[in-house]
Amino acid sequence: MDLAHIRNFSIIAHIDHGKSTLADRLIQLTGALTEREMQAQVLDSMDLERERGITIKAQTVRLLYQAKDGETYQLNLIDTPGHVDFSYEVSRSLAACEGALLVVDAAQGVEAQTLANTYLALEHDLEIVPVLNKIDLPAAEPERIKEQIESSIGLDASEAVMISAKSGLGVPDVLEAIVKRIPPPKGEPDAPLRALIFDSWYDAYRGVIILARIVDGAIRMGMKMKLYAAGKVFEVEGLGYRTPKHIPTDELVAGEVGWIIGNIKEVSDAKVGDTICDAENPPSGALPGFEETKPMVFAGLYPVEAHQHGELRDALEKLRLNDSSFLFEPESSIALGFGFRCGFLGLLHMEIVQERLEREFGLDLITTAPGVRYRVHLTDGKMIEVDNPSRWPEPQKINKIEEPVYEVTVLTQDEYLGGILALLEEKRGQQKKFEYVGGDRVMLTYEVPLNEIVLDFYDRLKTVSRGYASVDYHFSGYWTSPMVKLDILVAGEPVDALSIITHKEQAHDRGKILIGRFKKLIPRQMFEVALQAAIGNKIVARDNISAIRKNVLAKCYGGDISRKRKLLDKQKEGKRRMKRVGRVDIPQEAFLAVLSVGDDE
Amino acid sequence: MLRPAFEAETTPRAAPGLYVSFPFCRQKCTYCNFASGVFSQDLRRRYVTALAAEAAASDTLDRADTLYLGGGTPSLLTGEELDEILGGRRREWAEATVEAAPGDVTEEAARLWRERGIDRVSLGVQSFDRRVAAAAGRKHSAEQVEQEISILRRAGVERISVDLIAGLAHQKEADWEESLDWIERLEVEHASVYMLDADDDSRLGAEIRSEGGRYGARDVPSDDQTADFYERAIERLAAMGLEHYEISNFARPGCESAHNLKYWTFAPYVGVGSDAHSFDGAERWNNARMASEYVARWERGELAAAERETLDAVRRRQDRLLTGLRLRAGAPLEPGDLDGREEALEQLLQKGWVERPEPQRLRLTSSGVLFANEVFLELLFE
Repeated sequence: MDLAHIRNFSIIAHIDHGKSTLADRLIQLTGALTEREMQAQVLDSMDLERERGITIKAQTVRLLYQAKDGETYQLNLIDTPGHVDFSYEVSRSLAACEGALLVVDAAQGVEAQTLANTYLALEHDLEIVPVLNKIDLPAAEPERIKEQIESSIGLDASEAVMISAKSGLGVPDVLEAIVKRIPPPKGEPDAPLRALIFDSWYDAYRGVIILARIVDGAIRMGMKMKLYAAGKVFEVEGLGYRTPKHIPTDELVAGEVGWIIGNIKEVSDAKVGDTICDAENPPSGALPGFEETKPMVFAGLYPVEAHQHGELRDALEKLRLNDSSFLFEPESSIALGFGFRCGFLGLLHMEIVQERLEREFGLDLITTAPGVRYRVHLTDGKMIEVDNPSRWPEPQKINKIEEPVYEVTVLTQDEYLGGILALLEEKRGQQKKFEYVGGDRVMLTYEVPLNEIVLDFYDRLKTVSRGYASVDYHFSGYWTSPMVKLDILVAGEPVDALSIITHKEQAHDRGKILIGRFKKLIPRQMFEVALQAAIGNKIVARDNISAIRKNVLAKCYGGDISRKRKLLDKQKEGKRRMKRVGRVDIPQEAFLAVLSVGDDE
Repeated sequence: MLRPAFEAETTPRAAPGLYVSFPFCRQKCTYCNFASGVFSQDLRRRYVTALAAEAAASDTLDRADTLYLGGGTPSLLTGEELDEILGGRRREWAEATVEAAPGDVTEEAARLWRERGIDRVSLGVQSFDRRVAAAAGRKHSAEQVEQEISILRRAGVERISVDLIAGLAHQKEADWEESLDWIERLEVEHASVYMLDADDDSRLGAEIRSEGGRYGARDVPSDDQTADFYERAIERLAAMGLEHYEISNFARPGCESAHNLKYWTFAPYVGVGSDAHSFDGAERWNNARMASEYVARWERGELAAAERETLDAVRRRQDRLLTGLRLRAGAPLEPGDLDGREEALEQLLQKGWVERPEPQRLRLTSSGVLFANEVFLELLFE
C-alpha cells in the first residue's frame, strides 16, 4: 500500500486502563476477526502476560479501515511491552510508529508509567492522541483528567477522544482520529531496503520470528537479507502480517509492518534495534538507535533439588533462545550447590524468567538476593565490573566504587507523601523535583541507587502509599559510594549464598536483620552457634543460637512403636535435607526464608 | 541398675500383655494427642460391644499375664462394661492397671476394680498446681488427689503411679517443685514424667505452633526450662527412692510397670480397641485410629487390624534397640547389631551419651537420656 494510506501507531496505557480492551474493539470494528474468533484480549498471547495484564513481547495487528473520506487505510497497531524493564524494546517499538494513542482511565488519571512512556513517545516525535477511557463510569471525571494530562505532560487534551472500550462507545472516533491526526510514515519506497527490528523471538517450528517495520525499500520472499549488527546473511523464507491471524505475503514495502522468518536459529542474531538490509543492494548505513541491551539486576538461581541442576541448565538455554536479554553463567555455592548467576533487565524481568522456569520447565528454584553490577576501581588503576558478591575484591585493593543509579518518578496523592519521602530518604534517594500536577497529585523525581530499588522498594512503596503510588524509573548514571561486602558467618564459616553488597552505613542494620531471620530458622545444634555479620574481619553485628538441651521422645505412646519410628524417620529425613556449613546443619528453608526479602525490619 | 530379668523371651509361648483402649473422656485435655475425646453415649455402647467381641475372639484374655486399661479415660468404665469387655472373668493378673483421671476415683470405683483383679492405678495428675492443671483442662486439686489415693490404699490397691507433664502452660519452677513434693508426700510406688512436645496433634501444640494465645500457649515454658524441669524430676525422684528405669518412668525397685516393660523388652502384647497396637515377636499391627471407624469396621464385619507390618531384619533390629535403649539398664546387643555403625558409636561414646557396661550391652548415660533421639538417629536410622 502507498505510504499515504498507512498509519503505524501504538497504545500507551497504564495497567488496567483498558489497552487490551480497546485493541480488541479496534480489531472487531474493522472486521479483522469474526465474533466467534474473538478471544478476549487476543494480543497478549503468553499465559503469563494474560495473568499479569502486561505485555512482555510486542505484537502487531494490521487492520483495514474504510474511513469516512471513503478511502481504505492500513492501520498497523504495534503493541509495546508495558514495563520499564523493557524500555529499550519500548523505544524500538515506538520508533516503528508515527503516532500513539494515550489511553487514560477517566477516573484514575495519569500514572507514572504512562507518563514515562509518553515522554519516550514524544522523544521519538510521535503524534499523541489522548483517549479518555471508561467515561461511562460514575467515578469518571473527564474534565479533571484532561487538566491533569495538560499539566503533567503538557499535552493539549481538548480534543481527547472520549470512549468506553468496554461498551464500544466512541471507539469509531478513535479510528477516525488515527487516520486524521497521526501522520503517514515517511520513507523511500525505491531506496535500498532498511527495516527496523522491533521484536524477535524463537519459535520451535519456524526458528526466529522477526517483527519489523520497513523503513525504506521492500523485502521480498527469497531475498538474501543481512542483519546489520549480527553481520549475518539469511534467506527470507517467510513474510507476512497478522490480522491477528497470520497472513503470508510476498513482500512488505516501505511504511508497512510485518513478520519475517529466515531459518535463523538464535534470537541473538536478530536483536531488537538491528537493521535488516538487502545483502546484494546494501544501503549507505544502518538505521540509528541500535543498542545492546544490558542486564542491570543479577541473582543466583539454584535448583532446590540438587539433581535438577542439569535440567535448570537446559531450561536456561532454551529460554535464552527466546530472550537474548538475560545472561547466565555457572556458579557454585557451598550452601546451595551448583547453580547459575543470571543477569536480567530488571526485577520484573527476573520474576518472569523465574516464573517461566518454574511453570514451563517444572523446576523448583532458590533465588539469591538480587544485586546490581558495580564498577570497582582498583588501586592498581584497573576497573572491573562486579555483579557477584563472591567476586568482590579485597577491601584494601579497592580505590573507589561506582554504583548504578536510577531516576525514579513517583506519582501519588499528597496524603501519602510523608511515608514515601521517608522511604526514598531511607533508600539513599536524592530529590531532583517535587511538583504538584493538578489537584492533590504530586510528582516526585528522585535519584536512587538501583541496589536500593532491587532490595524491597516496590513492596515498601506499596505499603506506605497503600497502593496509591505509581512509579517509573530509568538508568541515569553512576554514583561513587562506599559499598562493602557483608558476609554472614555461621560458627565462623561464611555462608557464601548470603553475602551481599551494601552501603557501609547500612551494613550494621542489614547484618542485624539477616542474623535475626537466620536465628529463627536454624535449628539449635548440639553446641552454641555464633552468628555474625562481618565486613572483612570486622564484625558489625552478632548473635548466637544456644545449644539444644534435649531431643528425646518423653511422651506416652505405649506400644505404638511405629509412631516413634516414623517420628525419627522424619527427623532423619530432615537432617538429610540440610546443608552443612562448617559444623552447622542448616535447612534449605532457612536459606529460602532469609533470601526472600520481607519488611520485618 | 542391671536388671536382666526384664528381658523377657520373645517366643510364641511367652505370655503377652493385654492392652484395652478406651478412648472416651469427659473432656479433651489441651495437651492430648491421642485419638480420644468426648464422644456420644451411642458410640460408647457400640464401642464396648465391639471391644468385647474383639477381646473374646482370641485366647489373649486367658493367656495374657498383664492387663492395661488405657485411654482416654478408662476410669469411666462401669462394672457392667468392664465385665462385658473381660468376658466376666475375675482372674488373677501378674499386674492389672487402670488409668484414672483424678475425680473418678471413688470408693465404689476402687471396689469394682479390685473385684476384677485390678491392682494398679495410674493417676493422670499431670500437675498438682491448680492453675496449671486447669489450663490443661483438668479440674482437680492436690488435696483431691491425696484423698483419692487414700481411698485406693484403703481398698487395697498396692501400686499407684502418678503422671506428671513438664512443659505445661503457666508452669514455673515453684509449682514443679511443689508437684514433686506431693509425689514424695503421697509415697507412690511409681511416677511417669513426660515432656510436652508442641506437635500439631494436640490443641495446645497446634496453638503454640501457630503462635496463638489459647490454652495459655504463650505461657508455655521454653524447651530449655522443660529440660530443666525434667532433670530436676530425675534428681528429686531418685532422692525419694523412685529409680529412673525408663526415659519417662520411675519406680521403687520391684514396682516397675510389668506391662509397659513388655514394650521395651520386645515381648509380645495384644492391644484391643481403637488405636490399639499389637506385637507378636514377628509382626506389628494396629487397629483403626478413630473410635468411630473402629466400630464401623467391626459392624461391617471387617477385621479390627487396619495396618499390619512384618518386621524384616532391619526393622527388627531398629525396633529392638529403639525400645531397649529407652531402659536405663540398656539393651542387650546381638551379634551384628552395630555393624557399620562403629564410627557413630565411637563418637557417641566420646560425647558421653552412651556407655557399654559390659561388651554385649549398650545403654544411655544420664546425660545421654535427653539426647536419646540423636543416639537413635545415629545408630539405628539410615
